[in-house]
Amino acid sequence: MSAIAVGAGILAFGLCTGMLSGVLGIGGGTFMVPFMVLALGIGQHAAEATSLLVVLPTSVVATVVLARRGAVDVGRALSLGLLGAAGGVGGALLALALPADTLRRLFAVFMLVVSGRMLLRLWRTRAEATP
Amino acid sequence: MTVLEPAGAPRLQRPTPKLVAIGVIGGLLSGLLGVGGGTIMVPLLVFWAGFAQRDAHATSLGAIIPISVVSATTLATGAHIDARAAILLSIGAIAGARVGAGALARADDRKLQWLFSTFLLAAAVLMLVQR
Repeated sequence: MSAIAVGAGILAFGLCTGMLSGVLGIGGGTFMVPFMVLALGIGQHAAEATSLLVVLPTSVVATVVLARRGAVDVGRALSLGLLGAAGGVGGALLALALPADTLRRLFAVFMLVVSGRMLLRLWRTRAEATP
Repeated sequence: MTVLEPAGAPRLQRPTPKLVAIGVIGGLLSGLLGVGGGTIMVPLLVFWAGFAQRDAHATSLGAIIPISVVSATTLATGAHIDARAAILLSIGAIAGARVGAGALARADDRKLQWLFSTFLLAAAVLMLVQR
């Protein structure tokens, strides 16, 4: 495959990731890291670092768009993020001391339960919600 | 890009105790587990702090800004950055984020719940199968 085709593919993937990030309120690392590792053959560590560099402009642009429409309390969001950053440093240090893989599996199961309950509730209430 | 908000620079607010807890817990878990902050913060904001789905997504996007600044600086020191992926993904993601955030500003909470719970389910499965 030519370099141009690969470049266009990366660009297109970025576009999709950005759209989903903007709607879902997430950074997009969940999509980008596996893409870079599996499709582009970039190492896990480098993929994570690269994804963080992409997450920053994505979240800034999304926040500017939302702020212009008055859809976000920017001060509250930023202060939440500063606390999150402090917690993140603590978490990264704890990860060295704790069995992070086991914790990750436990948390994945928890996410599975939360999403399952959300989907079930949405499905059960679909009749009364249809406009 | 000039300012974050047309009505002047956003002022950091003193967050409520619950928001403090969500920031720290969200950051801690994401640092510990290597999951993006939004995946954790959005459900916490909705189920614990009682945010509407759309407000949770918008707030999470703003909160990701400081989080990604801090984690990018800690992780990127020494890590190899794939410049081609970083640049192309950013260009795509910036364009996508404008579209996504615009859609978020108009979206209805139920549709967002469908989308987010499906994403959470996929992210959980991805977490369980990787490594």
